[in-house]
Amino acid sequence: MTSFVERDLQITFNNVKSAQKIDGPSHMLGHCMKAVDFVVELPNCYLYVEFKDPQDPESTDERRQEFVSRFLSGQLDRDFVYKYRDSFLYEWASGKADKPIRYFVLIALDSLDSAALLRRTDALKRQLPLDGPKSNSWTRPIVEGCEVFNIDKWNSHFSDYPIIRLSSHTTPAGGTP
Amino acid sequence: MALTRVKLERFTAFDSLDLELSPGINVFIGANGTGKTHLMKVCYAACDVSKTGASFSEKLVEVFLPSNRRLGRLVKRRGKSVRGAVEISRKDQSLRTSFSNHTKLARSAQVTGAAKWAASSIESVYIPVKEMLSNAPGFRSLYSQREIHFEAVYADILQRAYKPLLRGPVDQTRKRLLDMQKAVEGKVSLQNEEFFLRNRQGNLEFTLLAEGMRKLGLLWLLIQNGTLSGGSVMFWDEPETNLNPKLFGTVMETLLELQRIGVQIFFATHDYVILKELDLRRKPADEVAFHSLYRSTDGKIECDTVDNYLDIHPNAIADAFDSLYDREVKRSIQGMR
Repeated sequence: MTSFVERDLQITFNNVKSAQKIDGPSHMLGHCMKAVDFVVELPNCYLYVEFKDPQDPESTDERRQEFVSRFLSGQLDRDFVYKYRDSFLYEWASGKADKPIRYFVLIALDSLDSAALLRRTDALKRQLPLDGPKSNSWTRPIVEGCEVFNIDKWNSHFSDYPIIRLSSHTTPAGGTP
Repeated sequence: MALTRVKLERFTAFDSLDLELSPGINVFIGANGTGKTHLMKVCYAACDVSKTGASFSEKLVEVFLPSNRRLGRLVKRRGKSVRGAVEISRKDQSLRTSFSNHTKLARSAQVTGAAKWAASSIESVYIPVKEMLSNAPGFRSLYSQREIHFEAVYADILQRAYKPLLRGPVDQTRKRLLDMQKAVEGKVSLQNEEFFLRNRQGNLEFTLLAEGMRKLGLLWLLIQNGTLSGGSVMFWDEPETNLNPKLFGTVMETLLELQRIGVQIFFATHDYVILKELDLRRKPADEVAFHSLYRSTDGKIECDTVDNYLDIHPNAIADAFDSLYDREVKRSIQGMR
């Protein structure tokens, strides 16, 4: 079991081979390459996981406005794409892109309903892109699958990787969150 | 004066329903066969007879058109002798009719409260799913002279659309409403019972227009001729039909504005974008009620009414998107271990 805290969100990875936070100081190429938040290794694939938390209670109005502006302009989708591709290159150069990769993005925004999540997933698929050129010259995809989640949807689909919002999570008596 | 309540007892698909209505916008959502259109039709019939003085039970037959015009066929089938009833209220007045499943003639049904009800008339309009303006020439006379199998709402909407435009300058409220209808890109005119849209391309007959555009043209006419004005009641069955979703915002904005000037509105929808446009465009003072119709575990139709879009439950439209999304995720994570 490996847990990470990303500001107000905590994610726990159970039953995985390994889970790493790769956009921290050990990345050391932050000046030229973007990175997703976590890389998780399963027996038959890797998961790249990216968090965006516009409802972080500690966030400033300025940061929220910036999020809205990036969201509306499409820059947020481009960020997701570049983070994935740079992380893929980084891992490939490290000899670790040896299994199919799935890319999961969490946007911790309650108002994103299923219809909006579907639209954002489709947009991400087009831009990554999920499919190669029509010439079929690619012999393998650069990403096996991708999906955009909110916290509820993430938790309903991934019971082994629960996400909790720390500020609204009550600690059980005698336990830790 | 806005309708405040509708009560149904063993009527069409309903066993028993007692529904409080919003004086503003009433949105009906629910799967097919949960009675959305039926609810709007009974309310419309009550409004219409307040103006015409016709019998409520006879109007019900005209708008529902049961086989052989037998009113008793509108009673929920139980396989035995039972009575059904419809009661519509506004403030301290109620119009009620009751009849048995054996009732053949509408005029033999019991009607109470009719005289008081007709003492103050309600201007109302019912826009059916099928567009009628392009079929207008000759339809009214055909409908009035022959037994043709069309529900009264089709003839009634033409009667409203044929009303002449209001005299004098357009007041600010109507001007604002008509400005919202810029999507129509022209003005609707009437020549020898035939509707035309006059724009830069010339005078286009309605049969040459896209069906969605004809609907917007109808809305424009109803505002222009004063049918939709403060105190009137509007019913619209599936406004989304044949309209491009890009126009839904204009339609919802127009309905909100009509509600602000005192028009009570009822519409039934199956569309997510319609609901979301309404949710995003409404202001805190706007009066909106979402009525979610559903079948309970024993098969009876129930209704849950809420003020906010996110509180709608059950939400058949959101459920459809949830199902799509969940299957999409399952496909994405298939084989992951």
